[in-house]
Amino acid sequence: MNKLLFFAHLKDEAGAETLSIDVSGKTIAELKTIVSEQHGLTKIDSVMTAINEEFAEDDDIIQQGDTIAFIPPVSGG
Amino acid sequence: MNERYSRQTLFPAIGEEGQKKIRKKHVLIIGAGALGSGNAEVMTRAGIGKLTIVDRDYVEESNLQRQQLYTEEDVFEKMPKAAVAEKRLRAINSETDIAAVITDATPDRLEELVQTVDLIIDSTDNFETRMAINDISQKYQIPWIYGACVGSYGMSLTIIPGMTPCLHCLLKKIPIQGMTCDTGGIIAPAVQMVIAHQTAEALKILVEDWDAIRTTFTSFDLWGNQYTNIKIAKAKDDGCLSCGEARTYPFLQNENLMKTTVLCGRDTVQVRPPAKQQLDLARLSEQMQASGYQIKGNPYLISVEMKPQRIVVFNDGRALIHGTKDLSQAKAIYNRLLG
Repeated sequence: MNKLLFFAHLKDEAGAETLSIDVSGKTIAELKTIVSEQHGLTKIDSVMTAINEEFAEDDDIIQQGDTIAFIPPVSGG
Repeated sequence: MNERYSRQTLFPAIGEEGQKKIRKKHVLIIGAGALGSGNAEVMTRAGIGKLTIVDRDYVEESNLQRQQLYTEEDVFEKMPKAAVAEKRLRAINSETDIAAVITDATPDRLEELVQTVDLIIDSTDNFETRMAINDISQKYQIPWIYGACVGSYGMSLTIIPGMTPCLHCLLKKIPIQGMTCDTGGIIAPAVQMVIAHQTAEALKILVEDWDAIRTTFTSFDLWGNQYTNIKIAKAKDDGCLSCGEARTYPFLQNENLMKTTVLCGRDTVQVRPPAKQQLDLARLSEQMQASGYQIKGNPYLISVEMKPQRIVVFNDGRALIHGTKDLSQAKAIYNRLLG
């Protein structure tokens, strides 16, 4: 099982702050497709991801038990 | 040493030696909005030797809730933010050399501005300028500190050339149509939290305490009670075009800049993003309506009343700003809506 964490406005788009889902063996890129198609996340391309609080690239592979965070960069200032 | 800084020099990691270093340094702050006002005030009170603050905009009523250097009188007078900031900062500390520049921080201007600078503090409201700052930072080996916020959410990252990954390593694709303070709102404590992170990092850099530099990407949500640090050391990309071996500084190049043109006789400026985009106009329209703007639209464009201007946004990212001939004002309005 894996835990997904949604930050900022992604939380509203996904309708939840966290989500439990089994995506072990998939890449971050594959997971991004899943969350945009099945959980309504938009503009997922430019969202930063972290696996277990470490920056993750699109081709990183998710392991059993990993927690994946979706962090949208914002521009306000 | 001056009594004025005694409480800061009592702090062991700064001390008398650190204060002497702070006194010799020149900090450049890009943007004099919410983050810029706060960052500039902290740096000025800390006794920085020279501070240059750059902004293209003027003070508006909706700024007063969080932009700490401005007053109702500045709104009434429609004063440029940089000019007001300069006056207030001088009144706070006459020992700091304050320079205000009222300009749009384009790559050309940035190249001139950074020549004697030790540190750049990002206080802008858009990624185009941030990516240009990122390239300039690498080109001239000047540290910079990214900071941004919207709603109750904020983030910060410290970039030291040769030591940490750069913003381009982390953001392979530049975010478009991000939430901005004009579409997602903003509360003052989120601003202050980002300022706290940026200025703490600034002090570390100014006293050259390199071991103390934060090596994580920090993000927080003050309303959602969330605080997260992401380790980023492994994100450093040797192929990065901004900081890698075959660097080209893409964001300093003309073809990657936003284009603005005055449309003759129409009191209108056209703003065109560097690359064609696919905006979600329905979503933008919803956000703008929720923020209280009057919107009209069809599948090809939306028209937003932002009195005295009216802005028409097409789905490829192009926009017409009616009611102005001022290029930098038009860009400021565009960035406020689209980030």
